[in-house]
Amino acid sequence: MIVRMAKVEILGPKEQLMAVLELLRGRGAFQPDPGLMQAAAHGAETLTRGLVLSATEIRERLFFENLQTRIRSLLTMLPDLPLAAAALQPLPVVDVFDELVDRHLEEAEQHQVRLEELRLEEAGLSRDLVFWETLEPMLADLPEESDLEFFGITIHDARHLEGIRALLQERLYGQCRVSVATTPDGALVGLVATSRQMAEQLRMVMTDERIPELSLPEDLAGRSIPDRILALRHRLLDCQVAREQAEHSLESLARRWLPSYRQVLAWLEERLALYRATATAYETRQCFVVEGWMAASEVETLRADLSAQFAGQVVLEQLEILNEELEQVPVVLHNPGYFAPFEVFSSLLPLPKYTSYDPTPFIGLFFPVLFGMILGDIGYGFILLCLSFGLARGLKGHPLISNLGKVLGAAAVYTLLFGVLFGELFGDLGERWFNLHPLWIDRMHALAPMIIFSISVGVAHVLFGLVLGIWTDLRRQRGREALLKFLSMVLTLLTILLLVAWLVPDSWLAVRPLLGGILLLLPLLVVIGGLLAPLELLKTFGNIVSYVRIMAIGLCSVLLAVVANRLGGATGDILAGLLVAGVLHAFNLLLGVFAPTVHSLRLHYVEFFSKFLDLGGRRFEPLNRDRP
Amino acid sequence: MEKALIALAAALAVGLPAIATAWAQSRIGAAGAGTLAEKPELTGTIIILVAIPETMVILGFVVAAMILMMF
Repeated sequence: MIVRMAKVEILGPKEQLMAVLELLRGRGAFQPDPGLMQAAAHGAETLTRGLVLSATEIRERLFFENLQTRIRSLLTMLPDLPLAAAALQPLPVVDVFDELVDRHLEEAEQHQVRLEELRLEEAGLSRDLVFWETLEPMLADLPEESDLEFFGITIHDARHLEGIRALLQERLYGQCRVSVATTPDGALVGLVATSRQMAEQLRMVMTDERIPELSLPEDLAGRSIPDRILALRHRLLDCQVAREQAEHSLESLARRWLPSYRQVLAWLEERLALYRATATAYETRQCFVVEGWMAASEVETLRADLSAQFAGQVVLEQLEILNEELEQVPVVLHNPGYFAPFEVFSSLLPLPKYTSYDPTPFIGLFFPVLFGMILGDIGYGFILLCLSFGLARGLKGHPLISNLGKVLGAAAVYTLLFGVLFGELFGDLGERWFNLHPLWIDRMHALAPMIIFSISVGVAHVLFGLVLGIWTDLRRQRGREALLKFLSMVLTLLTILLLVAWLVPDSWLAVRPLLGGILLLLPLLVVIGGLLAPLELLKTFGNIVSYVRIMAIGLCSVLLAVVANRLGGATGDILAGLLVAGVLHAFNLLLGVFAPTVHSLRLHYVEFFSKFLDLGGRRFEPLNRDRP
Repeated sequence: MEKALIALAAALAVGLPAIATAWAQSRIGAAGAGTLAEKPELTGTIIILVAIPETMVILGFVVAAMILMMF
């Protein structure tokens, strides 16, 4: 249901404005709407004007914003530790934190820069170490005094290896050798060996051809490879120790100051939100005025709270909602008990306007019935009922799944009911094993009665939608639209009766008067609704025929169940038969949950709601602590 | 011969709308998948949108059933 809203005006001395806004944010029940005052003041000579902050207040706000920005910067640099909140009253110490934050920012920045340098160095050293450790076994057999010089290269793509090898051989006149190894992380590294005389030329070739040489810190470049590896290991260890020290310093800073800064930041955010909320207020010479919306049921409680907290200095007055303001009234939906879980489906639509209807109760009433009509099977209904109990009870911590479980439970009850009426238990298994017969319609064979039944459901549902549409238009004093819908409804009824009279010549219905009625009303429809009105009428017929899906999808479900039973029986083995039939029934059940849900919802959203629902309502967004 | 023609008529009545539905659903499905990549909260709406063209094949099915029943 759409919660009844009240338009209220809160009035009090200007110096109490911040305290009043703080109370309103705490209650989370009031949505300020400066547009209301604007509209009231438009074209009239009034004493009120948009509230302007004093110079002191503006200075204070700027100071708070500046401090908030710096604290946020500091918090991004400190590690996000789960620490207990500080017992601190921020207001008396806010000036102290204004001075402290710069010092801490500088300190944290230094630690961060150092950490970044160390991390980069560590990453580079680790990479080099991996490469050189991979190349080390290739050099193990070399004599200590060798005339050779070695270069490490990285090969990004194994396909380039042969090209590099051929190039180096050509440019160094065959006086080099390229060996390749794969690092533990899968990268390809190469070792190029050449004589000392050719080393300089090799270096030039590598520079010219942009072959990436493994870089080394300068002081390590001249050392032998085992020495290089040892030195790299030492340096990496030093680097890790230095990084851990820097991290520890940063963590110590965070442990000491983070709770206090978080507390101050939360207070600043609350304070600044109040300053922002002042933009919704108006003022006279002495007073402030705030107008807005709240649930009508909470007006008295808020009035009493304001009166008690401000000793009667702040008053709340409920105003009449004008006709032209109805479109602006914010909407909040509240459905108790059985209907609440169905909000899962109504939330897929935009919010209805305040003067329209909440779609949830309609979905709650009709969705399970349509679902049951489509699936209609005792066996499937029983399984779904068990499943719904499991979802609703077992997953209470997940509201969405729990609600879907409750919806499924309602749908399963109707599936059982229609299963009894159609005489179906896992398709035709009930008939074959337990001699179960339909109490009403045999869906598998009686196609025509099922089509007529489905269309009758469509007629009832769509005409009910049109009746609601007429009622809405009459309430909103839109007489022409109401008359148009009424004519459409009468014409639809006459056409259906004409069809019945034509198809069943023995009935008491006479073709001529019905045809006369249609021919009389059709021009009237064109005169009132224009040339497009008959098209709308055709759309209504289309909507009604669309309900045939109840029969069509239901029949598919029955036939699949029958196929599952027959295939199971055809195996000639009990176990294999149970397995085949079980798998096919499980598949059918899966489809049987998905298809009826989607199509029942579609019948609501497209066929039913289009007749009366005005969508595009404004969401109720009260001032509260969760909204910055 | 007449029976074969009736069966063919029924097959066409359900087959052609089935192709049309499949084509429409492929377009809506592709657009829906793109939408979901940016706004996963629209999952429910997209499922409903994909189901909308099924009206064609359902009506085709009804016509096919009527052809088979009436002739």
